Amino acid sequence: MTGQQPPDKPTGGDGPDPPDMGMGMTAVTYLLAGMLVWGGIGWLVDHWVGTRGIFAGIGAVVGIGSGVYLIVRRLGA
Amino acid sequence: MVLAADVPFPPSVEDFFLPSIVPWGAHDSYWFTKITALVWLTSAILIVFFLTAYRKPQLVPTKSQWLAESIYGFVRNNISIEMIGPRGVRFAPYLTTLFCFILLNNFYGIVPFIQISPNSHIAFPAMLAIISYIVFISAGIRHHGFVKYFKMSLVPPAPWFILPLLIPIEFFSTFMVRPFSLAIRLFANMFAGHMLLLVFTLGGFAMLSANLWLLPVSIVSWLMTIALTFLEFLVIVLQAYVFTVLTASYVQGALAEGH
Repeated sequence: MTGQQPPDKPTGGDGPDPPDMGMGMTAVTYLLAGMLVWGGIGWLVDHWVGTRGIFAGIGAVVGIGSGVYLIVRRLGA
Repeated sequence: MVLAADVPFPPSVEDFFLPSIVPWGAHDSYWFTKITALVWLTSAILIVFFLTAYRKPQLVPTKSQWLAESIYGFVRNNISIEMIGPRGVRFAPYLTTLFCFILLNNFYGIVPFIQISPNSHIAFPAMLAIISYIVFISAGIRHHGFVKYFKMSLVPPAPWFILPLLIPIEFFSTFMVRPFSLAIRLFANMFAGHMLLLVFTLGGFAMLSANLWLLPVSIVSWLMTIALTFLEFLVIVLQAYVFTVLTASYVQGALAEGH
């Protein structure tokens, strides 16, 4: 592995952007985060209002929808 | 062969809390245990190895110089530059240290007579995750400027009326899930690996001490332990690699130009 050459422009400068390898992980994270964040906010509203779980459910669905929208916007359909 | 009447089975979380060495045998004192000694050993090994390997670098490398250069070359070429681009060379020293530290610490999990990895205590992966967190955020701030970096990472390209819906999600997924998942991924893999080895080893002994006719089953259990040790070796290398690659990916995301 010492036979490998260092890259042509070792310092500074901006080569072409490397392909985004974290895409799959980012997509899953957006979905999960959406569900957790808005489900959590919905649960807090539930707690405050006193209902049993309806807002948590609505929040989770809204969260998943927003997550999908974020994936489409950030990672390009 | 141990035929003790009571084998500590099933293994529990308590088995991960090792007896304190200084002060000897004190209860509830975890400041200096085998785990601490192992982490110090890792640091000592890494410092001494890399220092002596590069003390008098030759054009035709000596064996340890070749090894040190190979490790650094691997991380620099395949992780730093592949994930971050030419700018990644600046991060290669940190990523190499991270990779070697995690790999060596994980490796203690299968070395005979040591057989516990410090990374099976959440503290060590947590600190490493916090350091990586600081690294990628400060890289982003230094490159883009404070306000612009946060605007770029928190505000997705969307019409203004949907933004309040999306910004909490972005914040959570970029600034909270990332360090948490880095730490938990490493911790859980090491914890579970150690637990599996404990179950199969102690299970063999427990079955044997319960009923001598279970000897063939015990032997199968011990063969499973050997097979799982090989699997554990794969997991050790993979988890060190994944931690480093994800850190590099987060740095790349922080340095990327806007959309």
